[in-house]
Amino acid sequence: MQYVIASLLNGTVFGLLLFMVSAGLTLIFGMMGVLNFAHASFYMLGAYLGYSIGRITGFWPALLLAPLLVALLGAGLERWMLRRTHRHGHALELLLTFGVAFVINELVKLVYGPFAVDYRMPPALDVTAFRFYGLDYSAYRLFIGGVAIVMFVAILLLLRLTRVGLIVRAALSQPQMVEALGHDVPKVLMGVFAAGAGLAGLAGAVAGAFYPTGPTMANYLGSIVFVVVVVGGLGSLEGALVASLLIGLLTTFTVGLDWTLADLFGAFGLGPWASGLGGLFTLTLSSLSGSLPFLIMLLVLLIRPSGLFGERA
Amino acid sequence: MTGRRLMVGVVAAGVLLLPFFLPENGVTIATRMLIAALFALAYNLLWRHGGLLSFGHAVYFGAGMFAAIHLMRLAESGGPALPLPLIPLAGALAGTIAGVVLGFLATTRGGTYFAMITLATGELAYAVGPRWDAVFGGESGISTMRMPWAGLDFGSQTQVYGLALVWFLVGAAGLHGFAATPLGRITFALGENEMRLRALGYRTHLTKTALFAISATVSGLAGALLAVANENVDYGIFTGVNSAQPVLQTFIGGAATFLGPAVGAVVLTWVGNQVSDMTRLWLLYQGLLFVAVVLYAPDGLTGLLLREREIARRAGPAAAACRVALGTAGVASLAFAVVFISEAAFVLLGEAYAMRQATDAGRWPDLHLFAHDWPALSPVTWLLPLASLLLGLALLWYAGRAARPASEATA
Repeated sequence: MQYVIASLLNGTVFGLLLFMVSAGLTLIFGMMGVLNFAHASFYMLGAYLGYSIGRITGFWPALLLAPLLVALLGAGLERWMLRRTHRHGHALELLLTFGVAFVINELVKLVYGPFAVDYRMPPALDVTAFRFYGLDYSAYRLFIGGVAIVMFVAILLLLRLTRVGLIVRAALSQPQMVEALGHDVPKVLMGVFAAGAGLAGLAGAVAGAFYPTGPTMANYLGSIVFVVVVVGGLGSLEGALVASLLIGLLTTFTVGLDWTLADLFGAFGLGPWASGLGGLFTLTLSSLSGSLPFLIMLLVLLIRPSGLFGERA
Repeated sequence: MTGRRLMVGVVAAGVLLLPFFLPENGVTIATRMLIAALFALAYNLLWRHGGLLSFGHAVYFGAGMFAAIHLMRLAESGGPALPLPLIPLAGALAGTIAGVVLGFLATTRGGTYFAMITLATGELAYAVGPRWDAVFGGESGISTMRMPWAGLDFGSQTQVYGLALVWFLVGAAGLHGFAATPLGRITFALGENEMRLRALGYRTHLTKTALFAISATVSGLAGALLAVANENVDYGIFTGVNSAQPVLQTFIGGAATFLGPAVGAVVLTWVGNQVSDMTRLWLLYQGLLFVAVVLYAPDGLTGLLLREREIARRAGPAAAACRVALGTAGVASLAFAVVFISEAAFVLLGEAYAMRQATDAGRWPDLHLFAHDWPALSPVTWLLPLASLLLGLALLWYAGRAARPASEATA
C-alpha cells in the first residue's frame, strides 16, 4: 500500500514535469509545424542557468531569470536561424534544431564539465510535506507538481480567454487572414517559440534542483518527451497532459517491481522451464522501466498511429 | 567525356589503393574512413530517395557489429565457423532484420513522426543495451579475435583494409545500382509526392519499409566491418552521438549528390582523427560546422564545389578562383576565432587552471594555446580572435556579394 501511494504521487509529479516540457514542444509544433529537437536542450539550459544564477542571486530570483534567458535564446533561434531555413522546408528546420541541440549539449559540457553540478533546492522547501506509513514526503516534489499545474491552467486561460490567445489561435489556423488583419504573424510565431522555450527552461530550473542536473539530462528527457508527444498526438495539449501522466506513472510504478516473464509462466506451472531459458524471460520489469515508454510508443503506433488525441493521419 | 571518366576512375582507384602502401596507423584510419563513408551512403539512401530523416541509425550499425562479433567469437571458440571475409554478410543480415521490424513501425507515419520514432528507437536500444549481458556484453562489451582463413591471417591492418575495401565497393555499388531498379525509381517518387504515389495504387508503407530495410542492411554491413576491424564492441555504440554522426557527415558533405555523404564522412573522420590529440572539443566544432552548413550552404561541401564550378563556367575561372580564395580565407579566419575562443574557454573553465590560479595567489596564469603562452588578462590575447572573427565575417560577406551579380544574371 505504501508502495502504491508513493508511486502514485511520484509518478504524477514526474508526469507533470514531462508535461511542462512537452507542452511547449507540442504548442510550437502545432503552430509552426516545426519539431524542435533543441527543446530538451532548453530544459537543460534552464537547469544550468538556474544553478549559475542561483549562486549569485539565490534560488527564487534565478527561478524567474533563468527561464527568461532561455526564452530570449529561443526567440533568437527562431528569429535568426529558423526563419532563415524556413523557405528550404521543414526537413532543414528539423536538421537545424538537431544541430543546435548537438551544439548546446557540447557547450554545456565545455562550460560545466562532464559531471552533474550541485544544484540544490532552497532550504525552505527542503522539508517534509507530510508523512504516511512512516515515509517522509518531500515538499519540493509537491512544488514541482504545483508549478506544472499552475502553468497548465495559465496557458489554457491565456489561450482561451485573452485577446493574445485569440490572435495566437487564429494565427495557428489562418495565418494569411490574420496577417491581412494587420497582425505581425512572424512576431506572433517568435513569441510562441520563445514562450515554449521559456516553459522548458522553467521546467529545467524547477526540476534541476531535485533531479540531477548533468549533461545527459537533455538526451534522457528529450527522448521521453518525444514519446509523450507521439503517444498524445502532435499538437494536442490535452493529449500531451494525458500521455505525460500515463508515462510518468508507468515508469515510476514499474521501477520497483521485479516481476519477470518467468513469473507469469509460473502462474501456469511453467515457471522453472521459463527461468531455465534465461534471457528475455528472466529480465525483471524494473530493469525494463527505462525502455517502457518506448515500448508504449511502438504499441500506440501500431494500434492508433495518430496518437491518443491526434487527428487522423 | 569518356576520357574524363577514365581519369576520374584512375584517380579513384589510386586513392582507394593508396593505403596498401601506408604505415600501419595510416591504414587503420583509412579503414575507419571507408566504414564511415559506407555508413553515410547507406544513411543518405533514406533521405535522397524517400525524403526521410533518421536520427537513430546507430541501431542498425550496432546490430551489424554485434552480429559480426558473436559470429567471430563462435569461430574463435571452435564452433561452426563462417569464414572471416563472409562475416560482414551476417552483419548485413542483422541490419536487414532490425530494419524490417523497426522500419515497418517507424514508417507508419512520415515526416516529423518518422524522425521522432527513429530517435526513440535509438534511445530504446541504448536503454536495453546494459540490461542484456548475454547479447550486448554489459559495460565491458565483447571482445574477440580475427581468425585466419584460406592463407590470410588478417593479422595486419592492410589485410583488414583490403576486406573493408571489397565490401565497401560491393555496398556502394549496390546502393548506386538500387537507384536504377524499378523499386529504386519508385522510392524517388516517394520523396516527391507520396499521396500521388498512393493514388496510383502503390503500397507506400511497404515501399518505405523496403527502402528503410535496404538502408539498414548496408548500415549493418558497415557496422560488421568495424567489428572486424576493432575486434571489440559494447553497447555504447548505441549512444546518440553515434546516431548523429552519419547525419552530420551526410549534410556537411552534401546530401543531394550520391557521393556527397562519403566525402563528408571521409573528411570529418580524417580531421577528427588528426585533431583527437589536440582538442577535446571536436564534437563541438563538428556541430557548429553542421549548423553553419545547414544555414548557409544547405547543399553541403559538394554542393558548394558544384556551384563554384558553375560560376567558373559562366564568369570565367579567374572570378571563381578569386571567390574561392576569399571564401576560404574568410572561413579559415572565422574558424581560427571560434577555435581560439572555445579552447581558451575550455582552459579557463577547467579544474587544472583553477588549481594553478589557487597556487599562484589568485593571479591569472598564462593560457597555453597553439604552442604559445598567452597572458590571460592582456588585451592582445582577446583582440586577436576578435579581429580574426570580424575579418572572417567581412571576407565572407564580400565573397557572397561578389557572387550575387553572377547568380542574378543567371536567374
